[in-house]
Amino acid sequence: MASKGVSLKVKGKGSASKNKGSSSSSSSSDENSMCKALKDWSNWGLKKAKVIAHYGFIPLVIIIGMNSEPKPSLSQLLSPV
Amino acid sequence: MAAPTSFNTTKPTVETKEKVDYFNLPCPIPYEEMHREALMSLKPEVFEGMRFDFTKGINQKFALSHSVFMGPTEIPSQSSETIKIPTAHYEFGANYLDPKLMLLGRVLTDGRVNARVKCDLSDNLILKANAQLTSEPHMSHCMVNFDYKGKDYRSQFQLGNGALFGANYIQSVTPNLSLGGEVFWAGQHRKSGVGYAARYSTDKMVATGQVASTGIVALSYVQKVSEKVSLASDFMYNYMSRDVTASFGYDYILRQCRLRGKIDSNGCVTSFLEERLNMGLNFILSAEIDHRKKDYKFGFGLTVGE
Repeated sequence: MASKGVSLKVKGKGSASKNKGSSSSSSSSDENSMCKALKDWSNWGLKKAKVIAHYGFIPLVIIIGMNSEPKPSLSQLLSPV
Repeated sequence: MAAPTSFNTTKPTVETKEKVDYFNLPCPIPYEEMHREALMSLKPEVFEGMRFDFTKGINQKFALSHSVFMGPTEIPSQSSETIKIPTAHYEFGANYLDPKLMLLGRVLTDGRVNARVKCDLSDNLILKANAQLTSEPHMSHCMVNFDYKGKDYRSQFQLGNGALFGANYIQSVTPNLSLGGEVFWAGQHRKSGVGYAARYSTDKMVATGQVASTGIVALSYVQKVSEKVSLASDFMYNYMSRDVTASFGYDYILRQCRLRGKIDSNGCVTSFLEERLNMGLNFILSAEIDHRKKDYKFGFGLTVGE
């Protein structure tokens, strides 16, 4: 008896969710694809930003430093003294 | 004829305590630097091997640094034994220091880049970013902080990679006491936590306490015995893993050198000496003896430049 009750309940739940799924699938798929596209674009952007920061940070600091007042010369940058 | 010494009758003979103006409290120490006196005395940067640092200033604001390190580095191991691998690396760094903008970059021979940026967006808002970038995928870390400084409070919002969010707030309650709290959420590890901290400081001593829902209780006390000597002690208890550590240390700041040492309840004795040989030339000796793990680390180094 208990098992019959349980199985009915489960079937009921299953059918309800199926109905819900079918009605909202069209709008949710649009939202899903937009979210996916946003995530993909942001991942791509973050990866590129990471590569740019990895190779470009130290040259950026050097360029900003060489352009600060009083302007140092290239020989000062490269000489060890 | 009249007595030249006239004493002021309006001034009381006993100096009364200044009435506390609760609307004019000083700005508190930033939340993450709350333990800084204890940290400076008890946790010097001990190393093993040889270290040579050379900082060359090109400009008032711009400097380059070259650093060589040779020595064993510890790698984490599952067993109780420590595994050390001899490594040697050269690190090149560029610093740009401006009142409004600070850029610090370091690059190692294995391609790792360490970058720090601090930018004053306005009088009260500061942006700080810290990143460790590697060529290996998924091993880079980045943390961005926004600090807002109010009249007698400070608040900070943190963003990190791997969906890490944190916020903290600290408020001056009396001229000596400041209280603060923090909350963080780590998306990748599905962890979140809340913490509270308090700091009481006078001219002669600093006492701090911190409790966090990750299970850590940390207390520290620093007493400035004189201009040259200060003593510090630290107690850390993790109530989830039942781990207790207590340490006691000293910090001597003398004319030509700075000597720091500490002894731990884990059976670890540490000592760190920085000796100023000449203007701009510092000699460093570091020793860490761990009796329980039988791990002995000795290091020496030379620092040239400011």
